Formats: sequence, C-alpha cells, structure tokens
Amino acid sequence: MSQTQIETPSPTTTQAQPAHVLKPERSRLGLMRPDHSKSVFIDWLTTVDHKKIGIMYGAIALFFLFIGGLEALIIRTQLIIPENDLITAQRYNQLFTMHGTTMIFLAVMPLNSAFFNYLIPLQIGARDVAFPRINSLSLWTFVAGALVINFGWLLQALEMMGLFAASGPTAGMTDMVPAGGWFGYAPLTSKDYTGVGTDFWVMGLQILGVASLSSSMNFIVTILNMRAPGMKMMRMPVFTWMSLVVAFLIIFAFPAITIALGQLMFDRVFDTNFFNVAGGGQPILWQHLFWIFGHPEVYILVLPAMGIISEVLPAFSKKPLFGYSIVVFSGAVIGFLGFAVWSHHMFTTGLGKVATAAFSLLTMAIAVPTGVKIFNWVGTLWGGRVRFTAPMIFSLGFVWMFMMGGFSGIMHAAAPADAQQQDSYFVIAHFHYVIMGGIFLALVSGIYYWVPKVFGKMWKGTLSNWVAVLIVVGLNVTFFPMHFLGLLGMPRRTHTYLEGFGWASYNMVCTIGSYILALGILLLLVDLIRCLRSGEPAGDDPWDARTLEWATTSPPQVYNFAQTPVIPARDALWVHKHGPENKKITYEADHGHGIHMPSNSWMPLIASVGFVPLGLGMTLMQAGVPYMGYVAIFGLIMITIGLILWAIEGPGGYHLHPEQENT
Amino acid sequence: MKTISNGFYRFLQYFSAFIVVTVLGGCNLDTRMSTFVTKGPIAEEQLNLFMLTVWVTFAIFIIVGGVFVYAVIKFRERPNDDRPMPSQGHGNPLVEIGLIGASILLLAVIAVPTLQAIWFTQETPDDVESRMGAWYSGEELAEEEAENPLIIKVIGYQWWWAFEYPQLGITTANEMVIPAGKVVHLELRSVDVIHSFWLPRIAGKVDLIPGRTNAMWIQAGDNFAKWKEKQGIVGPDQDSPELREGYASYLQEEIHNYYYGQCAEFCGDSHARMLFRATVVGDREFEAWVADEKIGHGTPDGRSWDEWYTAYEENPEQLTGDLNEGLKLFMGRAKCATCHTVKGNPRAVGVAGPNLTNVGARLSIAAGWLNHRAEDGGIDTEQQYENFFNWLKETDVIKPGNLMWEANGGGIGELIDEHGEPALLTDEEINKLSLYLQSLK
Amino acid sequence: MSENATAHQDDGHASLIIDNKKLLMWLFLGSDCMFFGTLISTHLIYRKLYPESFDPTTLFSLELTSFSTFILLMSSFLMALAVSAMHKGELKSFRRNVLGVIFFGLIFLGCQVYEFAHFVHAGLTLSTNTFGSTFYMMTGTHGVHVAIGVFWLICMYFYSHTGKMDAHESAVDVEIAGLYWHFVDIVWIVIFTAVYLIEFI
Repeated sequence: MSQTQIETPSPTTTQAQPAHVLKPERSRLGLMRPDHSKSVFIDWLTTVDHKKIGIMYGAIALFFLFIGGLEALIIRTQLIIPENDLITAQRYNQLFTMHGTTMIFLAVMPLNSAFFNYLIPLQIGARDVAFPRINSLSLWTFVAGALVINFGWLLQALEMMGLFAASGPTAGMTDMVPAGGWFGYAPLTSKDYTGVGTDFWVMGLQILGVASLSSSMNFIVTILNMRAPGMKMMRMPVFTWMSLVVAFLIIFAFPAITIALGQLMFDRVFDTNFFNVAGGGQPILWQHLFWIFGHPEVYILVLPAMGIISEVLPAFSKKPLFGYSIVVFSGAVIGFLGFAVWSHHMFTTGLGKVATAAFSLLTMAIAVPTGVKIFNWVGTLWGGRVRFTAPMIFSLGFVWMFMMGGFSGIMHAAAPADAQQQDSYFVIAHFHYVIMGGIFLALVSGIYYWVPKVFGKMWKGTLSNWVAVLIVVGLNVTFFPMHFLGLLGMPRRTHTYLEGFGWASYNMVCTIGSYILALGILLLLVDLIRCLRSGEPAGDDPWDARTLEWATTSPPQVYNFAQTPVIPARDALWVHKHGPENKKITYEADHGHGIHMPSNSWMPLIASVGFVPLGLGMTLMQAGVPYMGYVAIFGLIMITIGLILWAIEGPGGYHLHPEQENT
Repeated sequence: MKTISNGFYRFLQYFSAFIVVTVLGGCNLDTRMSTFVTKGPIAEEQLNLFMLTVWVTFAIFIIVGGVFVYAVIKFRERPNDDRPMPSQGHGNPLVEIGLIGASILLLAVIAVPTLQAIWFTQETPDDVESRMGAWYSGEELAEEEAENPLIIKVIGYQWWWAFEYPQLGITTANEMVIPAGKVVHLELRSVDVIHSFWLPRIAGKVDLIPGRTNAMWIQAGDNFAKWKEKQGIVGPDQDSPELREGYASYLQEEIHNYYYGQCAEFCGDSHARMLFRATVVGDREFEAWVADEKIGHGTPDGRSWDEWYTAYEENPEQLTGDLNEGLKLFMGRAKCATCHTVKGNPRAVGVAGPNLTNVGARLSIAAGWLNHRAEDGGIDTEQQYENFFNWLKETDVIKPGNLMWEANGGGIGELIDEHGEPALLTDEEINKLSLYLQSLK
Repeated sequence: MSENATAHQDDGHASLIIDNKKLLMWLFLGSDCMFFGTLISTHLIYRKLYPESFDPTTLFSLELTSFSTFILLMSSFLMALAVSAMHKGELKSFRRNVLGVIFFGLIFLGCQVYEFAHFVHAGLTLSTNTFGSTFYMMTGTHGVHVAIGVFWLICMYFYSHTGKMDAHESAVDVEIAGLYWHFVDIVWIVIFTAVYLIEFI
C-alpha cells in the first residue's frame, strides 16, 4: 500500500454525492479502470470492496447451501423405507458425495468467508483488506472451482435429457458426477473404479484450494498489519482472533490435500504409482494425507462459528466475554492440536496399538480446550442480562447442540468403542450435530446479528422464533435417532437397507425430521427476504453491541470509517458508550487529502475465469474429448495474462472526502 | 419396476408400522446387528467402554447443561429491568483452572479403560482351549497348527466376501462358519478397494485395505474361564463335568446362532449390498461342516466326474433331467465355471467369483442380500429357488455394476440390448440352472 | 506478540514492522514449506517401504547434480547482490546481477531437463515404480518453482527498462523476489540431501 501511485486524484466534497459521478481514470496500461462504473453489474464484477465481496460470498454460499440441502433431502427420501428404489445406487453415491463436498467447501467455508470478508476490516478499524485485488481473485476463483466441481451435474442433466450421450469421442466420460465420497479414499477414486466425475472433483478442489490459500494469506496480513491504532492483539474481537487462527490452519493444512490431490491426478492421468497397489503404492497414504488436511478442516469450519458465538453471547448478556484470553488461547490450542489428531479418522485401518493409543489420548486432549470454550460461554451468561433476541436464541441453541456433538466426539476418541461407531450412522449423527447443530446454527446466529449492519435494515416481527423452533426441532429429530441407527449396525453411505434389521422406523423419523429442518431453512430465507425488502432502518447500533463494527454507519460507507478510529480498550464500542470518560473512541484527524480508496479491477476476474477452461479442459482431455487440451492451454494463458496485466496495471486508487463527522 | 402408487402404498404400510412400533414398542435394542446385545468378549469390551463414555458425558451434560439452563433462566432480562448493569469483569482465573482440571480428571476416567481396551482388543490372546489341537479332531491338520487358533483369511471383493480356512484347505463365500467360544484369528485383505469387516454383535470393525494385510481376533461367546467368572465360580482350577455341561449349554443356548455382518467402508456402487453372515456352531458341527466342504459335490446322476465329462463332450443329449441340464449350462453356455469353484467338480475351479461349494446349503445368496432363512433357522426352499432365479435373471438390478454382469457384457439372464439380442439364457434355462445351484448342498 | 504488534508504522496503524507484501510472501513460503514437506515425506516413506525395489545410485550422476546445485547456490548469491544493488538504487548493477540469476536458473533447468531425459531413456518413468512417481513429481514441482522464478525475474528485468523502477518503490518488490528465489534454493538443498545424497550413504 505504501507505494501506491495515484494517477488522477478525483476529490469529491460530500458523502451524499454518489461515487459514480467521479470520472473514470486510466491505469498504467492505458486502459480505463472500471471505477465508478454506471453499470451496477460491472461494479460488482470488478469490485475490490471487502463488503461487496463478503456479500457475494454469502449469496453464493446460501445458493450452494440450498443445493446441498436438496441433495440431502433426496438422500433422506430414498432411505425413508427399506429397499426403496426412488434413485439408483449410482445416483445415491453421487448425491452423498456431492452433498458432503458442497456443504463443506461450497456452503460452510464460503459462508465463513463472507463473515471474514465483511467483518474483519470493520472489527479492526481498517479501510479494506491488505490486498483488495487478491480478495477479488479469491472470490472469483472460488466460483470457478464451484463450477468445475458441479459441472458433472450439468453433463448428467444433458445426458438425461438426451442431448448428449457418452459415446464416440466422449465414451470415456462415464460416471460424470463425483461418487467417491467427500474424502475420496484411494483406490476407489483411481481410474479403475471411477470415471470423469472424480476428475471434476479433483480439479475443482484444487481450484478451491487456490482461493482458500490466497484469501487466508490476505486475512493474516490484514489482521496483523492493518489494525487501527490502539487495536492491540489482545483487544481484537474474538471473531477476528478465530479468523486469524483459521487462516493459519488453512495455509498449513491445504498444502497436504493439494499434494494428495496432485498425486491422485497424476495416478489418473500419468499412471503414476502413488496409490496404485499393483505398482507398489499404498492407498493408506491417501488417508493420512487427506486427514492431515481433513481434521484441521473441521476446525477451519468450526472456529469461526465459535468466534461468532463469542461475539453474540456477550452482546446480549451485557457482559464481556468470560475469560477472553483463555478463549483466545484455547482457540489457538485447538488449532495447534488439530494437526495432531488426524489418525482418529483411521482407528479401524490397523494403525497398531501404540499409534491408536497415542491418537486416542490426543483426541481426548483436544476436548479440554473445546470444553473450556463452553464453560466460558456459560460463564458469560452467568450474572449477565440475557436478552432473547433472534441471534441470541440461535447462539444458545449452538451451545446446546455443539455440546452434544462434542460428547459423541469423546465417545469416538475411545478407540475401541469407535471400532463399533466408525463408518456407521453414529458418525453421521456426530458430525451433523457439530456441523449443523453447531456451525450452521452459529452462522444463522451471525446472519441474524449482522444483517442489520450489512444492509441497514432491521428484522421484522417474530418469524425468527419459528425459524429457530423448526430448525432446532428438525435437527434433533433428524440426527438424534441416527445415534441409535449407528449403534444398531447401520453402515453409512448405503443407498438402501434390508427389512428386519430394526432400522426402518428410525430412518422414517430421520427423514421426517429432515423435512422439518428443510421447512425451517426455507422460512429463514423468507425471513431474510422480508427483512431486505421491507425492514425498518436499523440504525448504527441496533443491538447495543460491543465491538467496533457497530461504531460506523449501517450499512457502512465504502471507506468504513470516515476517520481512522483510535481504540482505547477491548470491546471498544461498549467502553465508549458505558465506560469512563478517558476511554472514548477517538478519531485521527483528517490530513486534508481525503481517504485513499483502491481502484476496481478486471484483472482478478480475468485470471479467475481462466481457471474454468483450465480445469474443465484438463478433465475432459483426460476423458478423451477432442480439442480439450487447447481449451486447457487457453485457460492457462488467460490466467497468466490476467496476472501479468494485474502486475503492470498497478493498484491505482482515488481519494474520497467524506464529511467531517464521526460515525 | 414398482409404480409410484405402489411405492406410496408401501410408504403408508411402513408409516403405520412405524407408529405402532414407536408408540407401543419403544426402542428395541436387540436387533440383528445391534452393538448393545453382545455375543463375544470384544464387542462386550467395546460396549462397556462405550457405556462408560456415555455415563461420563451424561454426567457432564447434566451439570453443564443444568448450569447453562439455570443461567439462561435466572439471568434473563425482565420487563422494566432496573437491576444494575452486570459487572464487566473479564473472568476468574481460579474458576477457569478448576474447570480445566476437572475436565482433565474426567477424561482420565475414560482414558485409562480406553488404553486397556485397545490392548485387549488388538492383541490376539493365546487361549489354551482355543488352540486347534485342543478342540479340532477332524482330519488333515498339520502338526505345527495344533498350537495355533483357527485362522480365517477374509478377502474383500467388490461386493462379496471370500473366507479361506488355510489350515483346513477350504474356502467359502459370504457365510463364514466359526466354532463357539474359540478365539479365531482373522487376516483381512482386499483385492480391489477398501472394505471393512463388521460383525457388530461379535466385534467392531477392521478395514480390508489393498496392499496390506490387517489382523483381528474374534470370539463368539466367552471361553470357559470367563464364563465361570461370570457365574461367580472363583478359582481358576475349578473344573468338573457338571461345569463343562453348564458351559456347553450356555454356548448352545446363547451363542450358537446366525449372525449378521456388513461391509462398513464405502466401496462403490453396490456397497449397500455387501453383507455377510457368520454361523456360530459347536465344535462337532464345525468339523462336520468342514468335512462336507472338503468332499464337495458329485455329479447329479451319481456317475463319476470323468464319465460325466466324457458324456458331456461326446453325447450331451444323453445327460437328461433338470439337474444335468443345469450342470451343462453351468459348465457351458452360462460360463459359470470360468469364475466359480465347485469343490469336487474338476473343471469348475474359477476364482474370480464366490466359491459355490455348498451354495445350496447357505441361507442367503448375493452377499447376504437375498435371504431364504426360514423361521426355524432352516432353508425356505421356495424362497431359495426364487432368489436364485431372480439373481440369475436380473443380476444388475440386485447388485448394480457387479462382475457377473460386466464380464458377460450385460448379465446372463436379460436381453443384451434394446435391439432384442437374445438373452444368453432363456427363462427355462435359468430355471434349470437355479435348480442345479439349489442342489449344491 | 502483542507488545511487538503495537509498534506503529508511519500510517499510525497497529501492525508488525514488516511490509504487507513481504509478509504475504513469508506466509506463502510457510505454506510452500508444507507443500514440499508433503512431497519429500511421501518420497522418503516409499523409499523406506521398498528399499530393494530400485537402486537409483546406478542412475544418479552426483557430479552433474552437484554442479547444478552449485549453480543454484551461486544464483542465490547473485540474487542477494541484485537486492542490495536495488536498495542502493544502482539500476545497472541490478540488471547485471539479475541477468546472472536468470542465466544460472536456466542452466539449472537445463541440467534438470537433461537429467529427466536421461532417466527416462534409462527406463525410469513416472509409472515405472513408486520411486519414479515420487522423484519426478517432487523434482518437477521444484523445477516449476524455478521456472516461475526465472519468468518473474525476466519480467522484472524488462520492467527495469521502463524507467518506472526506483530504489524507493521497487526495492521491496525485488527483495520479495529474492525471498522466493532463496527459498527455492534452500528447498533444493533439502531435496539434494534427502533424495540424491542419501542414496549414496
């Protein structure tokens, strides 16, 4: 940022004046920068504003949440009675594979990312993230990866409509949708057993990895380097802290799966022997590499949720978070230990006694920092003044459901008991309690909490209570019986089951529960749309909240804070409102040359879009479709050109002069 | 193909059954693959450990959940709340450290039994009474095997199981037979993808991973010493014919049974249809079964195999009767013998598919998916015929993607393609083949 | 950390005293360590599993690889000179040294291409055995890193002729390229030890 070159500063006098009246400028390339475009569409495509990027992440994540939920409903409907033949075994396998992949990589992670993007700069008093254009690249690369993973569905749909048949030059395109399970165990994902769907899955995940890695590095730099004066590390909101831990987890965990996927791809394309038994490869290596990524991934999903809870509970208890430093520290410990417990996903693979014992004990150890968090949340409520607002209700639900998910986690940690639970519905129950009952409720809580800030509109009425009741009841009705199903011997990932094993009635309950849950989520969308269409203006601080993001306008201006705030304490806004006089938030004086804003850019979009032809081209080339090699090369060239022009174009920027007013 | 209305009718049927079961019956935990009602020391150890974790977490749940609910109710905001602002303290280190200490203590309560159970379940014990020499009196046991327990090689295929008994020189498929109360050592491996061996009432699962051999031990029912301990008979040397009789009747009544297992690791299209069975029998029955497996089968009409093959090659019309016709198809047009072994038959030695020796005596076919076990534990012959017929007729419907379907370019019983290519076998021929297979017992 | 973190930069923000871009590169290198760590450990695991399957000593030419290792080390030295020249604003010296780095990098890549061609000719391909798979993938990934570095430096060399480069603005950029180059060099030292030298012990 320090070496930004500003070509033609275009000052504006008031913030009431819309930004797009400013004249577009030329970049070093001599091309027009897409700043202040009259077209809203171009403005959003080229935006580098962390708030717009956050909103887009959120919208796309909700879309994929809907898709993944639909897949889940089909799965549950298939299982409603024994020996049902609603869908074929192959379709079922595709559905649960894509359900898992979609929910983890395309729904929960981007929803987390939406919160990171929107909130981190606001919570630390920054204007934007450290690298706004990299942020844009992360978003569009994520979209490209999501397209590549889901491309198989499109082909499958075309084939079902008879518009396309896997014959002739495309005869190699069997099994067009990934069907190897979300953790794609070798050798089932080798080319002997699965078709082109696995290639889409591999390429898509690789591209998503690029997006996650680049955005994580960006957030780490932002959090470490862009904090407002006085925002010491131990004054940061817990959500920002957890985001920092997650970003570190991502940059250290993703390389393992990137390499594993690379090895799998080489096995499939170049006949290497990484997981090929005949050539001396060891399929078990895949499991180790995958779970070295996969277990930290669980914490990548859950830590932001814990961060949200640690924001919402204090806000609606009128108390600071109980044991702030211990909550922060235990988050870091969870992140650290998360790298040391991967083999508890592999207790039944014959690790040997010593390794089993070691991973068993380490897994139990990780329950301690997790428990500490729950204690501290209860401690936060204790002696507070609990207000039952919508975000609070979901957060309280989170604590309850997450606790239950944690308990079945402890049961898994006891390795011999896990031998009965592994790969059964008990595991399904466990991680859905954690992911749906935990993470999802926290994210809904976050949506209810921050939407008034993001859109400046307040929620209407008490529909949220119905949403909460339906979702929590639906969750428990769906997933609690699954504990019993697992203990009664039903293995996971079976597309049907025989009568007479005592599973039928439990399955029926689960399926009915899933419909209730779906209704609840539908109602959530209705509530959201109602709020956005006709909500009352929210005001800057509708919840009487504690952290810095509530000190600015709702929705915040493009520059976030008119003047850089100086942070006097932890829970800065609360202290500002209710604390002593000498602890007010103050604002740095304007130096008179306005606020420097980064320019919009096409280049991240161009580079990201290049990943689509690259991914699809490589995948279809492997399946024998003609000319696809050229498509892949085209994609590669597009990425390279995008990056080079990006470098030459320079960050650009312009100045804004908002009115001289605080908040 | 079932119609939608048919499916909906079935749904209604199950729904009413479900209401009856849940309202009247509550939760029945004694089901075929329940891990709650155990029949062996490993499953029992695993269940005990599980129940310990349940009680410990339940205690935490009651305490933490109770405090949580109490806090939410007690400290809720009331209308016109004029209480002073809550204290803005940042926590209490003593409380924190106390709670951390308490959690570590509670985890230790689980950790110690966990370690014990890991060693117990993963180390095959040298049980004197389980050594082959101590109980097996059948033929042809190599001298050095007398010291070993019974060894079974479990081999996973997409989507069926082979069970080899290397000490006894026999192989069976999908239905293993083991002696009650004896330690059995399993060697698990896979020829294609990862599978997982799970016999819930007897033992938790261990994976079958290509490229490596895993091991586990199982035991159906307690051994004599453990049984005495449970009966409250102290002293390891206690032994008498009465006690032995009591133990024998314990095995007879509680352990001898037909157990259900299933592949637990996702292994491709028909993962859901990769089941297996374990028949637990007494020592003498086991020996009889082994002897039967070793002898195998003769020709349907009683002549020797050499004579039968001479006739088959020179004058096949001479071989009449449903069973002979079925065997001719088995060896000929249906190409069964390419992949399947039938002990006794010198030319049916294929190994790509399940071993069919005594397949007519098994209580299920198609890796446990098609069942014909009668109420009394015997064979429901009509159902068995129907199962064989259906399996041969629509292999891919019953087990999508299976090798018998793929290798024959579209099964043996159905039209090969929409152009009306004739089926490999007509219904009448399938009928004969089914009858022949049914006779293999 | 929090003590350090409160040190203010001139823009008044609480931050580490390290440039944003440089911090980004450090994070990338940390992540890249995990990439190479995974690749190298895969290689070492398979090497240990199948010690008898393949004897690379018959194939490896320690002379050639030592030479290319030396070349890469020297390029790092030149890179350090280039960074220092840029800090002093000596554009000519910078160009000279960067050209040297590019040249040495290309020699290294040439050695690697020759080596690969030689090995394939001698019968070791990607699919021969696990050694072939891990060896090519690991050294290939490293080679791609070197190639990207060379490409980057070439871009930088040409950019230095546009007149938009000066000691204030571009020293950090050059330094970041230097960080990357040194890292790639260090990784090669590890690979050289763990893949080549270890076979001759």
